[in-house]
Amino acid sequence: MAATIKSEMAGVIQSIEAAPGQQVSADAEVIVLVSMKMEIPIVAGRAGRIGEILVEEGDAVKAGAALFTVEP
Amino acid sequence: MTGNREFEAMRAAHAALRDEARPEAVRRQHERGHLTAREALAALVDADTFVEYGGLAQPVIEGMEAPAEGVLIGTAQIAGRPVALVFYDYTVHGGSQSYIGHHKITRLFRLAAELKLPTICWLDGGGARPQDAAPGRRLVAEGFVAFAQLSGLVPTIGVVSQRAFAGHANLAGLCDCLIAVEGAALGIGGPPLVFAATGVRHTPEEIGPLDAHRASGVVDVVAATDAEAIAAARAYLAFFGPRAEAFQAPDAAALSGVLPKRAQRAYDVRRVIEGVCDVGCVFELKRDFGKAIVTALARLDGRAVGVIANQPMFLAGAIDSAAAEKAARFVQLCDAFDIPLLLLCDTPGILVGPEAESAGAVRRASRLLMALANARVPLMSVVLRKAFGMGFYIMGSQALRPAVLLAWPGAQYGGMGLEGAVEIAHGREIAALDDSVAREALRARRLEALRHEGSAVEAAARFLYDDVIDPADTRRLLALTMASFANRERGRPRRAYVDAF
Repeated sequence: MAATIKSEMAGVIQSIEAAPGQQVSADAEVIVLVSMKMEIPIVAGRAGRIGEILVEEGDAVKAGAALFTVEP
Repeated sequence: MTGNREFEAMRAAHAALRDEARPEAVRRQHERGHLTAREALAALVDADTFVEYGGLAQPVIEGMEAPAEGVLIGTAQIAGRPVALVFYDYTVHGGSQSYIGHHKITRLFRLAAELKLPTICWLDGGGARPQDAAPGRRLVAEGFVAFAQLSGLVPTIGVVSQRAFAGHANLAGLCDCLIAVEGAALGIGGPPLVFAATGVRHTPEEIGPLDAHRASGVVDVVAATDAEAIAAARAYLAFFGPRAEAFQAPDAAALSGVLPKRAQRAYDVRRVIEGVCDVGCVFELKRDFGKAIVTALARLDGRAVGVIANQPMFLAGAIDSAAAEKAARFVQLCDAFDIPLLLLCDTPGILVGPEAESAGAVRRASRLLMALANARVPLMSVVLRKAFGMGFYIMGSQALRPAVLLAWPGAQYGGMGLEGAVEIAHGREIAALDDSVAREALRARRLEALRHEGSAVEAAARFLYDDVIDPADTRRLLALTMASFANRERGRPRRAYVDAF
């Protein structure tokens, strides 16, 4: 089952570092979120394949917002 | 022969205590994927060290049978050190709490206080057995008070393997460290009480699911299985024991590469903790609560140390109310059991803004400073990167008289956030310029001057730090500092203080 990775905090999507379909390791950086002036890398969290990227660069997201999915 | 019948009675009574005496209940417990209380107890303690108290106790209700009255109590040893145990047995009337059961746990908690025994509670049950508290019978239930009075005297650990509601949850709420197994549910009131109070029917897992408790900070440690929870209890307890004789140092050079090149890039401060502490000896508490600070029991050259570290990955390491409260309680834990504290500072300060204020930041964020200012254990501080304002003041600055205050070369000190400081100190001077390019140039110059002033070596020139060090040298210097604690006065009495919130 695909896991949905959510943002732990509010911020702005600075960059997207992976594409749907891409194989990733657990520590692969998928998105960089800027929050409190800090660039926070959001990692895949588990090895697998990126399903969907649910945000775009420049999007403002709230805490709990779904960012992307990872399929086993 | 005289006495044979009495011996037989004793043997029969003891045989009834064993899991084998209730195969159906044991089978159901195993089907749910959990250990019985006796199995869990055997897995936790050193072999053949359990001395059981009140195993032969029975319910006061006529005709009711309950081996050990649903709760195993006694003393045993873990890693050769004595402990007290209260293990509720779900295979006996659902581990419910009874009149005699309460007297059993009270007896054991009082004994634990007298003998200074770390106490572990296996909380597998749903509270009181109502028919056992019938009118006319005075259910004293001093056990909760006796357990609360162990706080700070001996380490207390609770394990929730399946469900702990009502009385079991009340005990859980009093533990220093609460460990729960995936799938567990925990709550003040179970389904019948919630239905009676609100008219809504819920399952236990809807009322108090584990995910809610890990996020709220109620649960300190989450384990995948009962066996893992037992291993976690043993690992936690070990930090309150003697110095470990054998330990493995991490690769010192790894710390040199742990900070990102760009100052505004976040990193996981757990890498720093792992780079400083003995390999495999970092035990994080409340990982999913107050995430702007990481709190972990750890070892350094075999000696126990409590680590409090700002986490740049969450809120950029700004100290919010939840993080401050988590860390403040951790300070109390370490102070109570004489475990020195290591503060790893990388914070832009206390979290500001209307949301932080309405969450009570003025009071709640002060709890960490209150705890540190009143702690008796030695503090050690290392500034990893940002050391701004009241955040740094709290995270082990000179004012707290740390045993040592070190900074990494990239440490950046500021009495407050640098942009804010320029605005306050030079705002008028800058605004007086007509040309916007000139204004920004002046602002940049003032900012750069402040930045230089707050750089590690400049700050050390004003004796803000005891030294500026190569990150690879951190562990060596901290270990030597801990060795310098050998002659310090221990167990100084402390008057009570009134918490900030």
